[in-house]
Amino acid sequence: MRASKLSLAAITVATLIAGAAPALAQSTQITMWSNWPDEPAKKDWVTARVKDFEAANKACSVKLSFIPKADLYTQAKSAVRTGQAPDIFYMEPDQPEFLAGGFLEPLDSYVDLAQYEDWSKPAWTAKGKVYGLPVEAYTVELYYNKDAVKKAGVDVPASFQLTQEQFTDLVKKGVAAGITPVSQGVGDRPFPGGLLLFESLLRKLGTEDYGKLLDGKLSFKDPRVVEVMTWMKALIDAGAYPKSFSTLKLGESHFYFYNTPGALTFPDPSWFTGRAFAPPEGGGMPANFSLGIMQFPAMDKGACPECKTLAVAGSFVMYSKSKNKDCAGALMKSMATVESGTKWMEQVSLQTGLKSDPAKINSPRKDYFAELNARNKGVKYFFGTPLLYYRAKCAETYTQVMNNAFPAGLLSVQEAAEKMDGACFKS
Amino acid sequence: MTTTSMSSKASEGASNASSLADPRRASWWVLVVFLFPALAIYVGLTAYPAFRTFYDSFFTIEGLDATFVGLDNYRALMSDETFWISVRNTFIWSFIAPVLDVTTGLLLALALYAGVPFARFLRVAWFTPVLLSYVVVAILWTWIYNYDWGVVNLALRAIGLDALVTSWLGDPHFALAALIVTHAWKWAGFNMVVCLAAIHSLPSEVLEASELDNCGWGAKLRYVIVPMLRPTLLNLYILAFIGKMKIFDLVWIMTQGGPLWATETVSTYVYKRAFNWNTFDLGYPSAIASVWFVVVCAAVVILNRLLATRERLEY
Repeated sequence: MRASKLSLAAITVATLIAGAAPALAQSTQITMWSNWPDEPAKKDWVTARVKDFEAANKACSVKLSFIPKADLYTQAKSAVRTGQAPDIFYMEPDQPEFLAGGFLEPLDSYVDLAQYEDWSKPAWTAKGKVYGLPVEAYTVELYYNKDAVKKAGVDVPASFQLTQEQFTDLVKKGVAAGITPVSQGVGDRPFPGGLLLFESLLRKLGTEDYGKLLDGKLSFKDPRVVEVMTWMKALIDAGAYPKSFSTLKLGESHFYFYNTPGALTFPDPSWFTGRAFAPPEGGGMPANFSLGIMQFPAMDKGACPECKTLAVAGSFVMYSKSKNKDCAGALMKSMATVESGTKWMEQVSLQTGLKSDPAKINSPRKDYFAELNARNKGVKYFFGTPLLYYRAKCAETYTQVMNNAFPAGLLSVQEAAEKMDGACFKS
Repeated sequence: MTTTSMSSKASEGASNASSLADPRRASWWVLVVFLFPALAIYVGLTAYPAFRTFYDSFFTIEGLDATFVGLDNYRALMSDETFWISVRNTFIWSFIAPVLDVTTGLLLALALYAGVPFARFLRVAWFTPVLLSYVVVAILWTWIYNYDWGVVNLALRAIGLDALVTSWLGDPHFALAALIVTHAWKWAGFNMVVCLAAIHSLPSEVLEASELDNCGWGAKLRYVIVPMLRPTLLNLYILAFIGKMKIFDLVWIMTQGGPLWATETVSTYVYKRAFNWNTFDLGYPSAIASVWFVVVCAAVVILNRLLATRERLEY
């Protein structure tokens, strides 16, 4: 009898311990969706930050998924409506509808905003609150193949900036030498076809009037705009872009530039490194490729030849209806540090909206960084690319007209200007 | 025995007779139990979403707030230039592409019926594209149409027709036609199999009679085979028509409606407005979807009436 009582007590204790053990060990699992499944350096950076966080916070675990950007946006748009969105997800400032719809949680009380670069805060600020963690930032650069440009017979000046006429000459010499002057394609992206034209418009108009153009307060029929577009049209007609421009995808345009068939220049945001610095067997740049960075050409009588576009891109946001805001906030806080920013610069070779410590950056791409920093020295930044300004019909028209049809040579200057004004001009 | 009890007995008898007459007849409860799952799925996944789409079309939905706007979305639709371009393109797809699909299928079927060499191999080869997904087909044909190394342009260059080399998907004059050809390639095998089955089921005595009358292949085709296949061909045409009124996948992957909206269809436009326009507003895309639902239904009814044959074939 006594034995059976003891057995019963033992079973009871064992049951209680067994029941309590999972409760003690149980952690809150948060979900996180990130972009960059095909960019190893960025993927590694995110994975490492999450692992560091989990190691330091046993009460929280993270279910991390990497999803291509377009799919991620589509899924997030459905998920936020139904309350099924992940606690943290990737977002860029060009998707303001998430903020306007009240689906994003302000991060002010979770992260230390002093760890943000001052210029990156406005990208995610609304009604006095900050809603995003600006991991990725970029400048729009004009990459070029030093050997090929030299072979075509063009000398890049010490300022690394050609004039309008010199750039036209570069295009013509490239065509004559059988080398595509500008590697660019729009098969899967709504912006790259407009890079050369809009960077040129920025240098022609200066930051104030360029801002007006993007805000729809300045017409595309403004004589200065028409002048730049006419120059651009001449480059297009001379054969500046690949014939496969309309179907060439962004990843393929990288390969086109530094592998086959090769091109003289490649206008691209400085996230260029994400694909270019992958191993050559994974589609990256060959080790011996003579990469250089120019300034975009200075426009004749341009208001701001030293101007350049700076923007925040890949960021992380918190879902306003998250049930795990403590853990999600703690993860965001752990990512928003100078140390994280430094590691991003080191691993990804790309700017960040987080503060970083240049002295601690130990990158195998030091030369590249040095050249990028040299080109960005003394420049005057304009914040944001066209798609950060354009919305709805205007954005769609930009994609179809300025990104695609105009650089493909399908429209005249006047037709393109009329279509843009029809969709974007506000007065 | 009273009149009431007599009538009660009579009705009981009738009831018994009825149940005896058809022992397979199920009770209401049994019917409900068996029908409920299917009805629930139909209501939840078809009827309710359709009704909700129509309902949402009267609202502007910003985030989680819905504002009733009455017929505003429909009025805006009437003056939406891109919508009308997409309607035009979808009608081109729907009326012209099925002709190409059915004709190609019929010709392939006739080739097999006539005993073309390697018929067994060709039957499999021609049918294979039907098994491929739109994604695979779209990527494959994007390569085929590639300006630099696509097989179409390579062939043109090889035979000295360099002047005809074109960016097939990048030129608004050719992009829609290029997509229609791709679609016809994918579905030709399906139409071929259906036509072949129909040809084989034609009455042999009629075909033999035509041969006894010294009817040549062309005449036999024109006066005997095609008329007798008419119901099959019409059904194939209407099926293809309905499919193309909703065409999305191929267009989205190959051109996303570009260049310059030259390949925009109603489905791609609805998707863009719902998911690509930096807005959560489902009201406007719901209005497009509602209008198009009515148009598709009306078009099918009209087509059925126009194409329905009143002549009965007798053989």
